[in-house]
Amino acid sequence: MSMEKRRPQLNLDELHQLKWLLGGVIALLAVWTVFYMNLEGWTLMAITTGAVAAVMIWPALPSRVPALVHTLAFPAIVLFFAGDLWLTTEVLPAMVRLDMLLLLYRGITYRQRRDDLQVIVLGLFLIVVAGVLTVSLLFAAQILAYTGCALGFLLSITLTEAAKGDGDGAAGAGQPGGPPAWATHTDWPQLFRRLREAADWRVVALGAALFAGVVGLSALLFLALPRFQIENSLFLERFVIRKARTGFTDSIKIGDVSEIVQDTGLALSVDVSDRNVVPAVPYWRMLVLDQYEKGSFKLSPGLRLTSFGRFDRTGTVVHGEARPRLGPAVYWTFYLESGVSRYLPLAGDFSVLQFRESQNFRQSADLAVLALRDEPVSMTAYRVESLDTSGTLPDPGFAKRWRERDPRTAARGLLQNKLSVSPADQTRLRQAVETIEAGGPGPVAARDFADRAGAWLRKNHLYSLNPTIPGGEGDPLVRWMTSNEGGHCELFAGSLVLLARSAGFPARVVTGFKGGSWNGYSNNFTIRNSDAHAWAEVFDAAAGAWLREDPLAVGSAAQNDAANGEAALAARADRSWEARLDSLRVFWYRRIVNFDQRSQTETLKAVKAATQEAGRQLRERVARLADAVKTWLAGPWNLRRLANVLGFACAAAALGWIGWEFGRGWWRRLVRRPGGKHGDPVRHEASRWLRRMTVEPPRGAAGAEVVAELRRLRFGARATWPEPEKIFRRARQVWREAARQSKRQPGGTSASV
Amino acid sequence: MSMNPGDATEWSGPGGRDATRPRFTWNAFLWSLVFPRRGHRILPTVSGIVLIGLSLGIGTAAYNSSSNILFITLSLLLACLILSGVMSWLNLRGVAWRLRLAVPLRAGHEAVATLELRNAKKFLPTYGLWFDLVARAVERDVVRRAESTVTARGIDVREVLAKAESSESDRRLGLRTRLEPSGETRLEWVFKPRRRGMMRVELAGVGSLFPFGFLKKDIGTEVGAEAVVWPAPVEYRRHAVASARRPAGGERVPRAGSGGDLLALRRYATGDSHRLIHWKASARTQTLLVRQFAAESAEGYALWLRTDAAVWTRAEQFELLVSFAATLAEDFFRAGRLVATAVDAEAPRPVRRVHDLELFLNRLAVVQPVENSAVAGEQPVAKQNVLTFAPDGARGVAAYVDGEKTASA
Repeated sequence: MSMEKRRPQLNLDELHQLKWLLGGVIALLAVWTVFYMNLEGWTLMAITTGAVAAVMIWPALPSRVPALVHTLAFPAIVLFFAGDLWLTTEVLPAMVRLDMLLLLYRGITYRQRRDDLQVIVLGLFLIVVAGVLTVSLLFAAQILAYTGCALGFLLSITLTEAAKGDGDGAAGAGQPGGPPAWATHTDWPQLFRRLREAADWRVVALGAALFAGVVGLSALLFLALPRFQIENSLFLERFVIRKARTGFTDSIKIGDVSEIVQDTGLALSVDVSDRNVVPAVPYWRMLVLDQYEKGSFKLSPGLRLTSFGRFDRTGTVVHGEARPRLGPAVYWTFYLESGVSRYLPLAGDFSVLQFRESQNFRQSADLAVLALRDEPVSMTAYRVESLDTSGTLPDPGFAKRWRERDPRTAARGLLQNKLSVSPADQTRLRQAVETIEAGGPGPVAARDFADRAGAWLRKNHLYSLNPTIPGGEGDPLVRWMTSNEGGHCELFAGSLVLLARSAGFPARVVTGFKGGSWNGYSNNFTIRNSDAHAWAEVFDAAAGAWLREDPLAVGSAAQNDAANGEAALAARADRSWEARLDSLRVFWYRRIVNFDQRSQTETLKAVKAATQEAGRQLRERVARLADAVKTWLAGPWNLRRLANVLGFACAAAALGWIGWEFGRGWWRRLVRRPGGKHGDPVRHEASRWLRRMTVEPPRGAAGAEVVAELRRLRFGARATWPEPEKIFRRARQVWREAARQSKRQPGGTSASV
Repeated sequence: MSMNPGDATEWSGPGGRDATRPRFTWNAFLWSLVFPRRGHRILPTVSGIVLIGLSLGIGTAAYNSSSNILFITLSLLLACLILSGVMSWLNLRGVAWRLRLAVPLRAGHEAVATLELRNAKKFLPTYGLWFDLVARAVERDVVRRAESTVTARGIDVREVLAKAESSESDRRLGLRTRLEPSGETRLEWVFKPRRRGMMRVELAGVGSLFPFGFLKKDIGTEVGAEAVVWPAPVEYRRHAVASARRPAGGERVPRAGSGGDLLALRRYATGDSHRLIHWKASARTQTLLVRQFAAESAEGYALWLRTDAAVWTRAEQFELLVSFAATLAEDFFRAGRLVATAVDAEAPRPVRRVHDLELFLNRLAVVQPVENSAVAGEQPVAKQNVLTFAPDGARGVAAYVDGEKTASA
């Protein structure tokens, strides 16, 4: 019997079981992409998760599936795909569901080597599609987990194939039609125990280090791979249709925006290159709604046609109406989450807008609105230069139309002053306008009227997310305005627009976001859906511009006078745990998703600068150290100083010697392999007995023989060893005998062995 | 058996002390990437081709769409490929092997080639290697020039290929279990040499799919061992007449045996009977000595093998002759009656020990028909008790003692 303790090795059945487990984990990881892919596949995901988890735990289950099922599986899957495609007419979601179905089938059947490879490729497809479609931070976590599992899976396949050997392909195959041998006696806790026993912590640590190396290397490759701006759009977008989850569409009923407010999900993250230009309360305009009818605002067809034009444009660069400012340009980088809207949030007019990738869009320079052709399927990133956040939107085209308007057709929609309410409501509006204008000297300017109307509305109504619109006849908005009920932003904004139009000022509702929090970790604006807002814009004919008027805010002048820049941001800084998570997401967007040729160049420059700086600092430090040594050497030397130096040198040498002597032993013990030469338990045991016998030497020929055998075990070649157990037993007997004799004869001689 | 000691008994491979291996230089390393060493090969497997295809597809899509998600995936795939290379290198690092052959080898009998493996790494095990072993006959005297499709006209290529294939057997041995750090293991290949002659067993290559099976890495080796394959023993029939009549005047030779006459004294060896100890001599020399007696029967025979090509025209018959001669030589030696052996006109060799018999069998292993062997003229061995051979019909071979048919095969 050998006493040598060796790490056990997993047998073929255990390797098969490990492979089976890892294959299941890979299939599950892949189908769980449905959680964030936002494609219809929840049912299939639930079925796959349940089925694969069940067969992972009970691997004998697949053998109970009738052979007919396997025969019909492929035609059934093809039929499912064809039907899915025909019913939904969306290629990508159908392909994703097909992929999940194939994973389900492969996950619940016994797999050969090629089937294992199929599982890996199918899973990778799902994860990559999910990543490309969503650009989510979850993709990073998932691809890392998937890569680790897939590498482990491939390793287990290689080890299983090696353990099977040549001409042993049927190993573990079991009875025809029945489960394979490895599947019939699974004991997962025992497998994990065996895994733990078989694993050497140094090998596991090396494996972990190698995996970390893979991640680091892939990061380096990601940075170093040459980029070219081919300006092609994402091809997957063609195969999927996405609808906005929020209500930011070009037709909004009263209450739609308030519904968005209930959602606290992230809508938008904004980076700004110069914090001093950030307004205290930024308004992110998305959509202009000029037509009002029966409690619903929408973008009128006329305005859509005249402002947006008929055709989509494709490109990465959009030029706005704003002129570039003097001095260094201020860049605003927007990361708009998918599902918010196809209208891009902007604070006002801009000079240049650049997309990360080529996009199909329509632009209205007059409205300062940019709309993508389709709802974006993933996060949309764009950078805006010289964004005008003043709240005043010059519109020379409209000003010209307004000046040249024909009084007979003055109430046409294009002039954004049409009141689509009954005469009775118009009368009530007129009365309200008179109340608002009362007390003012002469005709009231647009700004004054808007401020006064806002104040009048705030005076009569409280803010409430659960408004009550009084019953009765007439327009609901007019009914609410003339009541004292509380209301939300849409009611306030809509009322202001009706009042302004009644007073003869062109006005419109604008929807978007207001404010947001300043993330104290990643230093960016975080705007959530709960920041959704609606406000009004009133045309000032004198200025030829649209003036922002938020009836829920204190007067416009006060808004503009509020503190801007760092102080404003400090006041709204968010340092919560949620902000921490959001900062991760922004880091992902900034450094990974938005990484392009320019970023690559900047990174290289930053690396170069950091290297140069580090070199400079090192040189300075060395020079300072050299100076200090020179100064120290040049100092006056006396006996005490010399003694101090010598003492210090001796202490250092002693410490070095101790480290060398004991450190080596410590290191050897650390790296000692169980069962290796140094860690051989037989040699250890023999050494122990020899030490004992030095203290209590055995007597007689038998004792000498035992000592000789022990020495052979301790120092001899393994091939010459006698049976260790027998020798140790004899050593114990001899040692006990010697101890007994020495007790009987105190003061006996002791000889060294 | 002879072996090339430099080839087989020294440890070879990445962990072996190979004195011929050049010192590492970056220049040589880079050139080796362009022109790998003989037998060194890295080929993608099916999963490797899938990985490369995936990388190409994802790379194309990444550049086409500027999607950084795809660039991340591409980077990860490339990093995995590099990791695969690093792990494969780590796996092979410190591994050494040597080949040993268990002698004697005999045609038609199972032989064992043992491949000893050693992992010199301190704490990293080695997994999943395979070793391609080839055993092939060595034709020393046949020098074939290189042929082309033009010059090889008239040569039956199929026949040449079939012959080459028949003289070669190969096997892939897999390392099924983990080779522990600082551990050793051995793999055995049991093969059956088909023909007598010189045989070379080579480790043709070492390969691995470790760790992920993307790439099949082959390392060519030049490890090999040569051995002589003795002729296969044959069944033969003794003829009653010849065996009944004891040849007169046989040569008497002193040889160890179980007779009554003291032949010599020798050192005591484990297993010797205590009764054979010569106590007086032992006391005198302070060493245990035992008595050695002469054999009871001292009549010996000389075996003379003539390989005249004119006589042995059929190859099968000649092979039978050689096997028959080897069998008789062994049987006679076992009976203590083989005195000397000779082949054609070569000087006779006395047979006193097993080693002498082995030398004769070695000679038989490579003997070929020669033209005009009778030219040598005189019989090289004694005139009496000479065992000779002659064709017996179209296929058989007969053995004669002093011209009298003694046995046939």
